[in-house]
Amino acid sequence: MTIWDLPKQSRAQISGLNQNISSDLRQRLEEMGFVEGQIVQCMKRTPFKGPLVIQLQDCIYSVDKALAEQVQVNAA
Amino acid sequence: MSSMQKIILVGKPNSGKSLLFNQLTGLRQRVANFPGVTVELKSGKFDQFELVDFPGTYSLKSISQDESIAVDQLQQAVKSPDTSLLVCNLDATKLERSMVFALQVQALAKEHGKGCVFALNMMDEVARFGFEYDVKALSAKLGSPVYAISAKTLIGISEFTKALKEHAANPQSASVQTTELHDLSYVKAAKQLAEEFGIKQDLVLKRQTKLDNFLLNSVLGAVAFAAIMFFLFQAIFTWAAPLMDAVEAGIGFLAAGVSSLLPEGVFNDFVNDALFGGVGAFLVFVPQIMVLTLIIGILEDSGYLARAALICHKPLSLFGLSGRSFIPYLSGHACAIPAIMAARTIESPRKRLITMMTVPLMSCSARLPVYALLIAVFVPDTSYLGGWVNLQGAIFFVLYFGGIITALIVSKVLNIYINQDENKSDLPFILELPTYRLPHWRPLAYKTLNSGVYFIKRAAPIIFVVSVVIWGLGYFPSNGNLQESYLASIGRFIEPVFEPMGIDWRYAVAILVSFLAREVFVGVLGTMFNIADAEENTAGLAEQIQADGFSLASGIALLAFYVIALQCVATVATLKGETAKNRYSWGVFVAYGLLAYVVSVSIYTILA
Repeated sequence: MTIWDLPKQSRAQISGLNQNISSDLRQRLEEMGFVEGQIVQCMKRTPFKGPLVIQLQDCIYSVDKALAEQVQVNAA
Repeated sequence: MSSMQKIILVGKPNSGKSLLFNQLTGLRQRVANFPGVTVELKSGKFDQFELVDFPGTYSLKSISQDESIAVDQLQQAVKSPDTSLLVCNLDATKLERSMVFALQVQALAKEHGKGCVFALNMMDEVARFGFEYDVKALSAKLGSPVYAISAKTLIGISEFTKALKEHAANPQSASVQTTELHDLSYVKAAKQLAEEFGIKQDLVLKRQTKLDNFLLNSVLGAVAFAAIMFFLFQAIFTWAAPLMDAVEAGIGFLAAGVSSLLPEGVFNDFVNDALFGGVGAFLVFVPQIMVLTLIIGILEDSGYLARAALICHKPLSLFGLSGRSFIPYLSGHACAIPAIMAARTIESPRKRLITMMTVPLMSCSARLPVYALLIAVFVPDTSYLGGWVNLQGAIFFVLYFGGIITALIVSKVLNIYINQDENKSDLPFILELPTYRLPHWRPLAYKTLNSGVYFIKRAAPIIFVVSVVIWGLGYFPSNGNLQESYLASIGRFIEPVFEPMGIDWRYAVAILVSFLAREVFVGVLGTMFNIADAEENTAGLAEQIQADGFSLASGIALLAFYVIALQCVATVATLKGETAKNRYSWGVFVAYGLLAYVVSVSIYTILA
């Protein structure tokens, strides 16, 4: 399961990032808080498969489908 | 000591850094770039030091071009022997995220033997949640001095100012102490600090979530977005109107005064027609530019701009653009130059290129004088709904919208022709939604003032030169008889090209000259009408054109021409600089010129 599969208002725990992303992007995502064990909450889904709004620790991010599918989660 | 010692101010975006900078430096500051939305380097005097404000970055490891420029500049500055101290601004409501970057900065300071202090900003918000930081323990754990402040309510600012002067004079007092924290990775260390010292997040984010439920709602959010954009364009016209009238009256008063002091003759005519007629006609529009900058500034500082980018992401992606293209597009309504530079933040090189090539279609502030003049000539100044909706404002909205629609169509076309495979390394879309905040007047006031000053500085010299040349060509050889001047001969020579738009040689000359910079159009017409006007009429240019007679069809054709044409040498140069290709700069210039001509001629042919 990835962040993209999260229904609105649900929480999950990040289990890792996909292997195929570049190391620069991986590092940036980790700096932004996408680390293993972190709780992520889906705040909002936008119509027509638009970007998600997620809460990650102290930040609210908007991420599109391409990125959301790179972050693996376990239902919490 | 040859040069002033520098203090460098850094921090994550949206962390109250700009306000802190403004509070520390007051009015004495310089901006190295147009006050747009991104890259700019501000510096100001703080006591006997120079305080340099670096653009907000998330990390010292850059992933976009925008960031790599900011990071390179920062590293150069830290290395410089002139630099004594680094100040890292932290958002106390988001300690963990602020700390990832702050720890990297601290390491950089240590590497180059510079002092490093932390300003734990936004203490007013933290206090509202009834939370208190253990600043002493945080400082000990970090190995650098930490000061709890609020740039907004000025909590702790006087102590911080005093301490900063001492640290800057004696950077050793702020040299970085290594603690056990520094054995961890930045990400882990930040997490540990946040868990030990930080405020609980659910508390902070509650209010923001409530507002987002409304502003990001699929229906209400879209309505709010449309309303905000419409309000923006209404404000440009209605709020700025009294200011513009005041500027116009002031120039008229000055012109009459100066003219009565000077003896009759060529010089008097020159001052009246070229200086007050040409340059003055353009100064009238500076208030509108400032109002536009003010509103974009409010949207940015309140946190709404990021939401707008999110709302626009899906629709824009249908045209091969990104939600981040929204910010260059919006600031393109002030000026294309900073907007093209703001496109550096776009994650994908391909979307960035398309955004840059279409930004010049946004109705920038230099088009404002042209629009405003033509609208004043043939759109009645009627208001509806008790003054909230103005017909002239509504037409403005249509013109701006026309530019945006054209940009989207061109993006879609470019998308087909720009090779997809070249950029497999496209970065995905991720955007932080900053906390909603009431904007503080100080940074807004500086931004607004700077936009006016910058615009005058950039445009006035060229408008002055062009006005003088046009005046000379229009005045001689028959001392003030425009119809028999050199200018008339040139104009009649090029007239056939513009005849299909239904305009005479005077407008043809104005269009031709405005390929240098479009705002010149108004100045050139102002100069010509003033020469022709033997009575030295002080009436506005719009009234003069109305009296002269001008058909509605040509007016609309002319407006359409100005919506599309890329008449700005500076924009072409910026495009060339950013893309390093003539194809994307002069090519775009020629293509938009031709497109503007074809559309304009078609409109005139249909309407006339």
